Amino acid sequence: MELKNEIKTLIINTLGFRNITPSDVDDEKPLFGGENSLTLDSVDALEIIMALQRQYNVRIADQNLARNIIRSINSIAEFIYSEQNKSNG
Amino acid sequence: MIIENFKHKMAAHCESGTITSLLNHAGMQISEPLVFGISSGLFFGYFHKMKTFPFPTFIVRNKPGQMRINITKRLGTKFNESSFRKNDEGARKLDDLLQHNIPTAAQVDFFYLDYVPSWERVHINVHFMVVIGKEGSNYIVSDSYFPEPVTLKSSSLDNSRFAGGSMSPKGFIFHVADIPSSVNYKAAIIKGIKNVCFNMLRIPVPFLGVKGIRLFAKKIIEWPNFARDTEHLSHEIMKINILLEDQGTGGAGFRFIYATFLQEAAEILSKPELSGLSRQLMEIGDGWRELSLFAARIGKNRDLGPEKLKQLSGLIQNRAEVEEKFFTELNDVIKRV
Repeated sequence: MELKNEIKTLIINTLGFRNITPSDVDDEKPLFGGENSLTLDSVDALEIIMALQRQYNVRIADQNLARNIIRSINSIAEFIYSEQNKSNG
Repeated sequence: MIIENFKHKMAAHCESGTITSLLNHAGMQISEPLVFGISSGLFFGYFHKMKTFPFPTFIVRNKPGQMRINITKRLGTKFNESSFRKNDEGARKLDDLLQHNIPTAAQVDFFYLDYVPSWERVHINVHFMVVIGKEGSNYIVSDSYFPEPVTLKSSSLDNSRFAGGSMSPKGFIFHVADIPSSVNYKAAIIKGIKNVCFNMLRIPVPFLGVKGIRLFAKKIIEWPNFARDTEHLSHEIMKINILLEDQGTGGAGFRFIYATFLQEAAEILSKPELSGLSRQLMEIGDGWRELSLFAARIGKNRDLGPEKLKQLSGLIQNRAEVEEKFFTELNDVIKRV
């Protein structure tokens, strides 16, 4: 839960959304296509990829995987969690 | 029917991913980065003013189809290839191959693929995917951009195989005809790397390789002269991001695949220096991403004054410097193998 809130805060701060708080953002709804409270485009996607790399030291090198990873807050959290486990293991 | 034993895999790039899937299915165990590296997929070309391009543009990989040609030459694989003038002939041939359980790669226009979300569809006539079955009036497709096989209406496949425009696919399909019983991977890797170093450092054409990156850095300052208005310029500047990041694999993406290739090559050739170069190239790829993001931001915000274009030019120039250093080092390492 903490990781998901951290990711939401990172996205909100990176993209400069002023009127949205982490609790407004649904964990499962897609971040693209207008279903979530955040409506993102492909430039935002790249901003998020680079912000995740800076914050968590994870490089999402493959654009096709990136599309799946940044689909929702849950999918991002899952990816970060598995990458952190890899480096700890 | 569906070709049951075909293993669908995601890939970083459609052409290298398609070739890899076909070769794996035919029994050759090879990774996508090895296919990309052996076929010298990495490239750069800047096209400032040419009849075929209405606006300056650039490419970050070798010519579509060239990977297959280079793989054939360097690994000794054989592909059967066909193009068609008539749609129904193209459909018949494809159905016939599927009936014989032969997974078949097709060149298509990405725009007509109805399994792609509408907001992601753009006209690119050089997308590659593997057709692995047909059920009723739908084809089953292994598209390496998607996590699972997808279905595609016959009419959509027909439209995408016979789309018009630049580099139109003309129904082009190919499949593996033969794979060699043994492969000299070391020789193939060395050839692939030498070819990329030549293309990036010494190709005697002023708009290709590192020289092309430098020309891009110099000429981008002049882009406002070619644009109709700010909207048009913003669209073209944002296309830098699309070409580098959004459309398929991207400039950084190609550098990341090549970095993985160098990691594999380091083991196969027992050359640990290549691992160091692999790490260097990952960082170079990050730099292309930064550049891409900068272009996207100034394009999106219509912040396209001379100062911003100068900054963008500086970022591109910096890529030329680091890539020149990188490929010179790579060339030195590979010469010593």
